[in-house]
Amino acid sequence: MTIELSGVRFCYPESPGEQTLNIHSWRVAGGEQVFLHGPSGGGKTTLLNILSGMLPATEGRVEVLGERLDGMSRRRRDSFRARHIGYIFQQFNLIPYLDALDNIRLANHFSQGQSVAELQANASGLLNSFGLDPSDMTKPVGKLSVGQQQRIAIARAMINKPEILIADEPTSSLDQVNRDHFMAELMAMVSRSNTTLIFVSHDMSLASYFDRVDALTDINRTEVMS
Amino acid sequence: MFFRLACKSLLNRKASVLLTVLAMSVSVFVLLGVEHIRSQTKQSFSNTVSGVDLIVGARTGSLNLLLYSVFRMGSPTNNIDWRTYEAIAANPKVDWTIPISLGDSHKGYRVMGTTADYFKHFSYGQKRKLSFASGQSFSDVLDVVLGAEVASKLGYSLGDDIVVAHGLASTSFSLHDDKPFKVVGILAATGTPVDQTVHVSLAGIEAIHDGWQQGVKLPGGASTAAVDSKQLQPEKITAIMLGLTSRMATFRVQRDINNYRKEPLSAILPGVALSELWQMMGVLENTLRLVSGLILIAALLGLSAMMMASIRERSNEIHLLRVIGAPPGFLFLLIELEAVLISLLSIALGGLGLFVGLLLASDYLATDFGLFIGVNILSGNNLIYLSLVMAATVLVAALPSFLVYRQARSSH
Repeated sequence: MTIELSGVRFCYPESPGEQTLNIHSWRVAGGEQVFLHGPSGGGKTTLLNILSGMLPATEGRVEVLGERLDGMSRRRRDSFRARHIGYIFQQFNLIPYLDALDNIRLANHFSQGQSVAELQANASGLLNSFGLDPSDMTKPVGKLSVGQQQRIAIARAMINKPEILIADEPTSSLDQVNRDHFMAELMAMVSRSNTTLIFVSHDMSLASYFDRVDALTDINRTEVMS
Repeated sequence: MFFRLACKSLLNRKASVLLTVLAMSVSVFVLLGVEHIRSQTKQSFSNTVSGVDLIVGARTGSLNLLLYSVFRMGSPTNNIDWRTYEAIAANPKVDWTIPISLGDSHKGYRVMGTTADYFKHFSYGQKRKLSFASGQSFSDVLDVVLGAEVASKLGYSLGDDIVVAHGLASTSFSLHDDKPFKVVGILAATGTPVDQTVHVSLAGIEAIHDGWQQGVKLPGGASTAAVDSKQLQPEKITAIMLGLTSRMATFRVQRDINNYRKEPLSAILPGVALSELWQMMGVLENTLRLVSGLILIAALLGLSAMMMASIRERSNEIHLLRVIGAPPGFLFLLIELEAVLISLLSIALGGLGLFVGLLLASDYLATDFGLFIGVNILSGNNLIYLSLVMAATVLVAALPSFLVYRQARSSH
């Protein structure tokens, strides 16, 4: 299994009596593309943060790519995330004052997965494959359109060839046309690279792109602790 | 990538960064400027005279006597009678004397009447003797020896004629134009007020004032032809520099001169007078240091405030960096690096500004104040101060850096 959660509970330190997550068991196989939906405030982003090692579970077993994140130090989780997990958000996927190439280089900086020459070739190739004009690659991304920025975000998330790609409502700020382009490019990319995709959205119309659809309400059984 | 990220982040906040850099540059300019001018002034003063055991003048304060006789600053309160000079020179404990007479000028440069002994005995720096870049000491009444800067700035060479003005004003209408002097020697540069002095013989001073009364030329005054035929013994001089046969005799001779009955005199030890000057300047120095230190602290606090304000704007950036694997320590160091870059840029700008300022003002400081300020600002205490500025930068940036670190640790 690529992702395996069992007995995972999570409470934010500022409200220790309020469970945000209580997952008895949840598994995702390698290469699976999972559409995860649920109401706002239902713990979707928290779950993604636990899977990526941004947050440590309060208790339970969090195994990702065969490694126990719950037993790792923060530093090791940071390094693990940089090397194995790509992340795409709804907004603020990129550092606005850096150009597309620098944003991608930055992601590689923390994983240290590729040499400079290799990275340069891969980054340009990846951006080209997303139809980004070479002249746009050296502009600060803040000056590019939202659609272009989301395509660069996919390239940035994929540059380290992550085994897992986490997408947190990445289409929310896109119009219909850009959303369809984005989904087509994303799904093609993860299929080509056999990347496990965890895609969170409340837009059920996107479920058709996925071979597995999970409702967070089915896997997250929170209860108020005394 | 780390450095690139910091640079681009700063460029992204050009306006606030520029203002912070300007504020810090001004503080660095003041800090380095105060220290540089202080140390250079001290060095310049200390190097101006050496080997002179006593300086004698009309009764006055020791600082005043030192300033007008050696540094050509201010004016003497009174003159010394020539017979008094002869009596002092006749003292067996006195090895050599340099009588000096001040009061005239040439295009803003002071004219000093003296004897050929001046070129023989006067020393500067570490007992370095004066030397001639060209020509020789004066031998005729209307010969003149120029300091290095006077010659270079006014473009004089041997054989040129110059006219001395009565009084010290840089633009004078009372010219001794009936008796021009001929340049017979140009001294090598010394980096002291000697470079800005026009040296003539005491007889020359007497000659040009022959036929003058109370600073005004009398109608039908003496002509050039009369110069050689007259007795040109000076009646008064401004001060005397003394070299003694033995250092042991210094205080004895000083006491004898201070107790001279026929004329109220002051004899001072140049080193002691300089110490008094430093002591007096100490309060001013410390005040200037304190003010420049406070300006720097204000600028550093401004830097810290600017960094703090930027953190709020950058919360998404911090979160993104965390997500792509940046450890909290990376973010701490990123903020520190940005602060250090701002400081380095400020030091470069402030230093450059000071360098250019000194280049432009050095002539003015030398001619108007007799201060020889070098332009090499990266020396002595300034390097220590710059290290302290960098250390203080790291310190004041620690707070915003720590806040980012804490935010990064709890980023979710």
